[in-house]
Amino acid sequence: MQKQRSIIALILVLVVLAVVVLFQIRIPLGLDLRGGTQLTIEVQPTEEVRNITPENLSDTKRVLMNRIDGLGVSEPTIQTAGTDKILVQLPGVSDPQQAERVLGGTAQLEFRQQKQGTENEFRSRIEERELTRLAVEELRQEENSDPEAIAQLQAQLDRVNNAIGEFFAPPEISGKNLTTAGFQPNQGGSGWAVTVAFDSEGGSQFASLTKDLAGTGRSIGIFLDDVLISYPIVNAEYAATGIAGGRATISGNFTSESANDLAVQLRGGALPFPVAVVENRTVGATLGRDSINRSIIAGASGLALVFVFMGVYYRLPGLLADMALAIYTLLTLAAYALIGVTLTLPGIAGFILSIGMAVDANVLIFERTREELRSGKTLYRSVESGFYRAFSSILDSNVTTLIACGALFFLGSGLVKGFALTLAIGVAVSMFTALTCSRSLLLLTVLGVPGVRQKPELFCPNIPQSVKS
Amino acid sequence: MIKLHVIQRRKTWWIVSAIALIASIIAMIVSFSQFGSPVRPGLDFVGGTRLQVSVDCSVSGQCEEPINAGDVTPILEAQGLENSSVQIIDDYTITIRTKELRPNQRVELQEAIASEFGQIDTSTLQIDTVGPTVGQELFVAGLLALIVSFFGIVFYLSVRFKLDYAIFAIAALFHDALITAGLFAILGLTLGFEADSLFLVALLTIIGFSVNDTVVIYDRIRETASIETGESINQVVNDAVDQTIGRSINTSITTLLPLVAIFLFGGDTLKYFALALIVGFILGAYSSIFVASTLLAWWRSRTETLKPAMATEAPSDADNLAESTYPDEG
Repeated sequence: MQKQRSIIALILVLVVLAVVVLFQIRIPLGLDLRGGTQLTIEVQPTEEVRNITPENLSDTKRVLMNRIDGLGVSEPTIQTAGTDKILVQLPGVSDPQQAERVLGGTAQLEFRQQKQGTENEFRSRIEERELTRLAVEELRQEENSDPEAIAQLQAQLDRVNNAIGEFFAPPEISGKNLTTAGFQPNQGGSGWAVTVAFDSEGGSQFASLTKDLAGTGRSIGIFLDDVLISYPIVNAEYAATGIAGGRATISGNFTSESANDLAVQLRGGALPFPVAVVENRTVGATLGRDSINRSIIAGASGLALVFVFMGVYYRLPGLLADMALAIYTLLTLAAYALIGVTLTLPGIAGFILSIGMAVDANVLIFERTREELRSGKTLYRSVESGFYRAFSSILDSNVTTLIACGALFFLGSGLVKGFALTLAIGVAVSMFTALTCSRSLLLLTVLGVPGVRQKPELFCPNIPQSVKS
Repeated sequence: MIKLHVIQRRKTWWIVSAIALIASIIAMIVSFSQFGSPVRPGLDFVGGTRLQVSVDCSVSGQCEEPINAGDVTPILEAQGLENSSVQIIDDYTITIRTKELRPNQRVELQEAIASEFGQIDTSTLQIDTVGPTVGQELFVAGLLALIVSFFGIVFYLSVRFKLDYAIFAIAALFHDALITAGLFAILGLTLGFEADSLFLVALLTIIGFSVNDTVVIYDRIRETASIETGESINQVVNDAVDQTIGRSINTSITTLLPLVAIFLFGGDTLKYFALALIVGFILGAYSSIFVASTLLAWWRSRTETLKPAMATEAPSDADNLAESTYPDEG
């Protein structure tokens, strides 16, 4: 009795916590529910490079990230998948044309010479660009950022970038001449520098470029996909020959991190890999909303049907099981929020299905309880042995389901994973609620509510009268 | 209490199952010869593009005449997409299923549709493009998941039950998955159903669930056998099935109710998924009651007298708590 009370108290605490969690953490919705585009981009090997290394892949990812930033989408996600794929999710993008075009092309890295007489204007434009960038960043950080405002700032940023491009002459060296880029500590000083190395053709072009610019105060414009990413100047000492030998370092106010960033961008621009969009899943925002509404209707009516069935068929314990089921629903949703499950359409199906499974355990227990009652046991003993005797069946059936979920989760693709995860969490939580909630509620009612013990017919109709104790 | 007499009528049930199995296998063979796959594969597995566009009816002057599939075909032919299927939903929504389209090809198609029928509502646009290699990978991953979970369950059952119990539970599981697949092979041949990733998920879930009912009955057979010592295995199985029939039916009902709700209200994506699960779960209940138990009885009666089935004798705490002996049932 005391034990049941403390279990109930524990459950109450859990329920309160679950409600708090659900109010605090919103369960993120998948793109199929909120609308958006998911693109799978394959990094394709070339004749020279037949195997895509993880480094190749993360370099490519870095380039794609920059391009996505340029799209002005709020909360994009980008992750590598497998050995040669990159998964890009763009919430709210209903027409993926632009995204596909921008993401599908090879990154263009170019070295260009700043035109004469543009120094002052260039500086003010760069400042303007920094401010705009900061503003965009800030907006993105905000929780409910206005996509419209972001798009506006993004357009402004594009204009500034175009204007900056105007200050530079046509490209002299392209990324394919860059053999590698890295970063190292500054020689004899603090800070970091970025190193670049060119092939022989690039090396001589670089020498002539630096010779022209040395000591003038004008910059080498390094452009990635037509956006200026670095603009070093060349010291006067190189005015005679330029920087020869195909190797150079860019020093400045680099931290190790920012130096690495630039090096990756340079390497990324030099990536010889073609990329292709190999999968596109786009769902318009309205369709997504429809799906949400539909699944709410499906889930609610499924739950309601089960509630009614349990109440009508199993009477008092059925109603208690309904209570346990309500608790189950809360706890499961809170578990989704805590674990960070992204809810997709199949995920919702998994959840709804797990409701059915959660009841299964109760059915097994109650049927067993009824049998024990019919065979002449007292109510309390029937309930207890109902739980004990149903346990092994419940365990076996849940374990087999979990095995299937595990296989799906570890081997399946995105959507399939969602289903496996929600179902598995549901099954795990349902074991808990069936074995603690239903049981404690039942025992407490049987022991604590006066009169119930004298009325086993609340549990099972048509018990032989002689059996009552 | 319901008396099913499963043992006496077992030949009937075996014949029913055998016919269903043979029909399923034939359907899958026919399907294989037509589509190169036991169930007609969807674009998830073979690659392709599905495009769903709706004409924006909030723009005035649009949506005055319902669109016919026949109106769309010339547009597709002009783009060199003769072998495509077109479906019109609610008069103004066009669904096109065709070979894999590159982004620019798809944009051309969208523009052609827009110029013919009017501006497209991008908020209801749906695009699924799957490259053939991705399709292949999805298929292999799905199949691998199916095989791994299958062996996982076989292993678990072999540990929990004696080998022959496990074998018949697995036979029942095969029975359920095969007939479900067969039914959907027929749906593929007749109604154009296409299996996507979710269909593989459904099969896997069926495999996971199918064992549930079987386990419940086998647990009871084990228990009944330990009480009714001296009874023949046939009698034990008959009793065990009769005693658990209420549970089997009710657990199926409680699982099926939410699925029926998904089937009715869940929308197109989940409709066939829910249907596959409904079929599989009903088969799961059927095979546990009529096939797995009778097969076990047949096997045990021809090999030996009954022994406890669990690999380890399950200690029953309830015994200590309640009476030390059970009143005789029946």
